[in-house]
Amino acid sequence: MQPQFSKAEVANAPEGAVIHDDLSAKWFLISSVSYFFIVGIIAVIIAAKFVWPDLMGTMSWLTYGRLRPLHVNGMLFGWLLAADIGLAYYVIPRLCGVKLWSEKLGLATAALWNVIILGAVVTLLAGLNQGWEYAELPWYLDILVVVAWIMFGINIFMTVASRKYEAMYVTIWYTMGCILWTAFVYLTGNFATLFATGTNQANLNWMYVHNAVGLIFTPIGLAIAYYFIPRASNTPLHSHKLSMVGFWSLAFVYVWTGAHHMLHGPISQWLQTIAIAFSLMLLIPVWAVVYNLFATMKGQWHQLRESVPLKFLMSGVVFYLLTCFQGPMHSLRTVNAIVSKTDWIPGHAHMAVLGCFSFFAIAGTYYAVPRIWGKALHSDSLANWSYWMLMIGGLGFFTTLWLGGFWQGWQWNNVSIPFIDTVIALKPIWIVRFVSGLMMFTGIVLFAYNILATALGNPEEAAV
Amino acid sequence: MFKKADNNALWAIGLSLVLFFIGGLLTTVVPPLVDSSWSKPFENHDPAKGVTGKLVPLNEQQKKGRAIYVREGCWYCHTQQIRTLLADTKRYGWRGVDAPISTPDEFVYDDPHMFGTKRTGPDLARVGGKYDTQWHRTHFRNPRDLVKGSIMPPYPWIVNNPEEFNALVAYLQSLGRSKDWRPANDYEK
Repeated sequence: MQPQFSKAEVANAPEGAVIHDDLSAKWFLISSVSYFFIVGIIAVIIAAKFVWPDLMGTMSWLTYGRLRPLHVNGMLFGWLLAADIGLAYYVIPRLCGVKLWSEKLGLATAALWNVIILGAVVTLLAGLNQGWEYAELPWYLDILVVVAWIMFGINIFMTVASRKYEAMYVTIWYTMGCILWTAFVYLTGNFATLFATGTNQANLNWMYVHNAVGLIFTPIGLAIAYYFIPRASNTPLHSHKLSMVGFWSLAFVYVWTGAHHMLHGPISQWLQTIAIAFSLMLLIPVWAVVYNLFATMKGQWHQLRESVPLKFLMSGVVFYLLTCFQGPMHSLRTVNAIVSKTDWIPGHAHMAVLGCFSFFAIAGTYYAVPRIWGKALHSDSLANWSYWMLMIGGLGFFTTLWLGGFWQGWQWNNVSIPFIDTVIALKPIWIVRFVSGLMMFTGIVLFAYNILATALGNPEEAAV
Repeated sequence: MFKKADNNALWAIGLSLVLFFIGGLLTTVVPPLVDSSWSKPFENHDPAKGVTGKLVPLNEQQKKGRAIYVREGCWYCHTQQIRTLLADTKRYGWRGVDAPISTPDEFVYDDPHMFGTKRTGPDLARVGGKYDTQWHRTHFRNPRDLVKGSIMPPYPWIVNNPEEFNALVAYLQSLGRSKDWRPANDYEK
C-alpha cells in the first residue's frame, strides 16, 4: 500500500504517494456543520413552543406546523446526509487508493445541494408542504435532489471502478448500497406517491420514511463507523465475515417493515403481521454489526479517554444497539398499543438520528477536518465539552420522552381521563426536554465552532 | 455467492438490488392488488353488515380547507385514524356511541393521506359534526380560551380570513362522516 495524504497535510509528499485534493469533502463538511448550527436554533424554538405555546405564535411562518418540517428536513438533509456525503468523498478515495474521480463534479454537487437546502427553507416557511412526512419538499426541489444524488453516485461509483485495491472494504459496500437503495426509496416516497391515494399512498409513504432511516442513514452511517472506528483506534476490524452477515441481511430484511408505522391502523392485518415479523428479524443485521464493532475495540477501550472521535463513535454504537432494540419491540402489537403516537416516538427517533448517526458523522468530521486542512484541531478541550453536552443533553432528552410517552400511552388507554388532562400531565416532561435540548444545542455550537475555527482559523498551527 | 461481491463491484450492486427488490415489490406493489378495500370507496346500505354510509369525494370548498390543513402542518400533531383499539373507539366516540374503526375504504380519495404519526392533540378522524362553526372560530383564534392547558398554536390569520376559515371548517366537518355512526344524526347541535 502506498502512503496517502491530504494536499494540505504534507509539504513534500514522498515519491508515489496519493495526494487527495478533498475539495468536495471540504465544501460538504463546512456547509453541513453550518446547517447543523442554524437548524439547531429551530430545534430549540420548537421545543420551547411545547412549554410556551404562544411563543412567536402570531406569525404564520413561525408556527410549529411550519418550523417542524424545516427542523426535520434541515437536520436530515442539510446536516446529516450532507456530512455523510462529505465524509464519503473523504473515505472512498482512500479505501480505493486513488483520487476522487472528479472534484469538479463533487463541487457542483455541493453547490446544488446548497441550492436545495436554501430552497427548502423558503418553501417550507411559506407553507409549500406536500403533506408527506420526510417528503415535504415540493416536487421541483425533489427533482434537484435526484439530480444531486445521481451526481454523487456517479462520482463514487467511478472512483470505485478505478480503484487500485481489488478487495472492497465493508465501507465501500455500505456506501454503494446506500446510493442504490436511496435512489429507489426516494423515488417511491416522492414520486410514486403522486400516483396513489389513501392507504395505498400511506403504505408507499411509510416505506420511504422507514427506509430513509434504514436504507439511507443506516448504511452510510455504518460505512462511516466501519471506517473511522478501526482508523481512530488504530486496530483492525474484528471480523470480515460478520460484516458480510450484517450487510447482506440488512439488504434483504429492512425494506419489508414500512407497515409497522400503521399498526392497528387502517391497513391490511396480514401486511401488519409481515412488517412485525421482519421488524424482529432486524435484530440480526444490528447485532452482527454491533458485535463486530465492540469486538474490534476489545482491549482498546482505554483509548476512548484520549480520543473524542472514538467517544462519539462508540457511544453511537451503543445508541444504535438501543434504538434498534426499541424498533422491533415497538412493532409488537401489545407494546405498540401503548407507545405509538406518543412522545415516546420522538425520543426513539432522536436516539437513532442524533444519538447514533449524527454521533458517527460528528466523529468522522472531528477526525477528517484537521487532516484535510492540515492543521491541529482548534481545541481538544472544547471537543470534549461538545461530547459531554451532546451526551448528557441527549440522554436527558431520550429518557424523559420515553418515560413521558409511556405514561401518556397509559393515560390514553384509560378512557375516563379527558384528552386535555393527558396534555397538561406532560408539561414537566416538555420542560425537561427543552432544557436537555438547550444542552444538546450547546454541544452543537461547540462542535460547529471548533470545526469552523479549525478550517478557517489561524493557518500557522502545526500540522498533525 | 456473497464472497464474489468482495472483489466484484458489479456483482455487489446486482445482489444488493435483487435482495432489496424482493421485499420492495412484495410490500408496495402487491398489497393494493390483493386487498381491494384500499381502492374501493366505502359504501354500505345494509345495517346487518355493520355501520352504513357512503364515501363521497370532497367538494371544492372542502378541498380548499384540506389544502390549508396540509399547509399549516395540522397533521404533525393530529392523526386521522381510529385504530383497532378500545382506547381509540371509546375515546373518540360521541355521547356514549363508540367511534367506528377507520377502514382503508374511507380514505380512497385522500391525497395526500393525513393518517399522521403523532398525537400531540386528539385524533380528528371522526371530528366532523362534533363542534359548531362558532366553537371553531373561538378555538382557532386562541385555543386556550376554550381549552385550558391546550398547547395548540393560535391561528388568527385564518380566522381573520373568512374564505380560508369557512373552507377549513367545511373540511373539518366532513371528517369521518362517510360512516353514519351517531344515532339520529343529532350531532350538529
